[in-house]
Amino acid sequence: MSFNLEIITPDQVIYNENIDLVIMPGIEGDFGILKNHMPFLTYLRLGLIYIYKEKKIIDSFLVNTGIVEVTNQSCVLLTEDIVRSKDFKSSEKNDEMDQLKTKILKKIYYS
Amino acid sequence: MPSLKDLRNRISSVKSTKKITSAMKMVAAAKLKRAQNNAEQTRPYAKKMSEIVSSLVKNQGSKEFKFGERKTKNVLLIICSADRGLCGGFNGSIIKFSKKLSMELSNKGLNISYIFVGKKAYFSLRRICKDSILENFTDIANPSVEFDLAKTIRDKILKLFLENTIDECHLVYTKFKSAISQTVESLQLLPLKQQELENDKESVNQLYDFEPDEEVILNEIIPKNIAIQIHTALLENLASEQGSRMTAMDNATRNANDMIDNLTLFYNRSRQALITKELIEIISGAEAV
Repeated sequence: MSFNLEIITPDQVIYNENIDLVIMPGIEGDFGILKNHMPFLTYLRLGLIYIYKEKKIIDSFLVNTGIVEVTNQSCVLLTEDIVRSKDFKSSEKNDEMDQLKTKILKKIYYS
Repeated sequence: MPSLKDLRNRISSVKSTKKITSAMKMVAAAKLKRAQNNAEQTRPYAKKMSEIVSSLVKNQGSKEFKFGERKTKNVLLIICSADRGLCGGFNGSIIKFSKKLSMELSNKGLNISYIFVGKKAYFSLRRICKDSILENFTDIANPSVEFDLAKTIRDKILKLFLENTIDECHLVYTKFKSAISQTVESLQLLPLKQQELENDKESVNQLYDFEPDEEVILNEIIPKNIAIQIHTALLENLASEQGSRMTAMDNATRNANDMIDNLTLFYNRSRQALITKELIEIISGAEAV
């Protein structure tokens, strides 16, 4: 029961794979997308995206706002600021945003 | 008539100019390739974004929204040019276009302010519009155009628009058609032209479930759409600059070749003439004895 998830930034398509479940930090609360979700459009707040396949987390991203469009068989995330959780390094400035991001990364997993 | 030494110097100087232009041509070709690749990579994002926006605006109907049209009094022009010269008519045509556009706008009785991206247009237009320049961004493509620049410009114009300091915003840039053909165009960033978006293309009219609701999402998406439009324009501008430089330098190299041929021919002729003259002198001298 997989569907296609695409994560697109202005520079490149950073993720384009078939997955089972994705959990995203929506503006009104976290939500999960499974196959055959109804068409859905929302935007994200700062938070973590978890990607599941065969009941395991296979990847996670740290995202800072973005737009999610879910259509019949696919889910597209457009975002300007996203990084793989494990690749995140706080920049030299270490401003408020960086501290928030570091804090969020330390959060324990869902489930 | 120039002496042989003068001719030799002239030929060698043309030769070294030719070396420079042909090197510049090759550098421009490599940079053009990279700029085109970059432009290619933003395409999926821009395409998806415009699809979402057009389907949203379609659903929205004729309801009023934050970025809608209003009575125009103040216009902001964002003029993108290159940081360097030696790229044929590239900067010249941008400057000409901007002058024409601002003339048209001021004839309509509108106040114009400017943001410049790139040095060249700024340097030649700053005297005409000195008080109305808001900002000047330089060194944009060093080493490549960053998305952050588009975001900075976007934030700036949105702020001005929402403060009612400006009512309209146009972006002047060079559209890249091919390495040898580019056209200067202006693109209206704000306010949104609803009709244009609606007639954009036959996008599938999806019935979405919105969270929180349509209007909020639309107001969230539009700034992102503007940023990507600016970014795409800057990338196209860069590709056009490199394309235009490549063609200009190719022409210069060819002209240098022609010049070297002509000069060498002339040099050999004068050399031969000189030899013949000397021989005649010697022979007639010998006959006299």
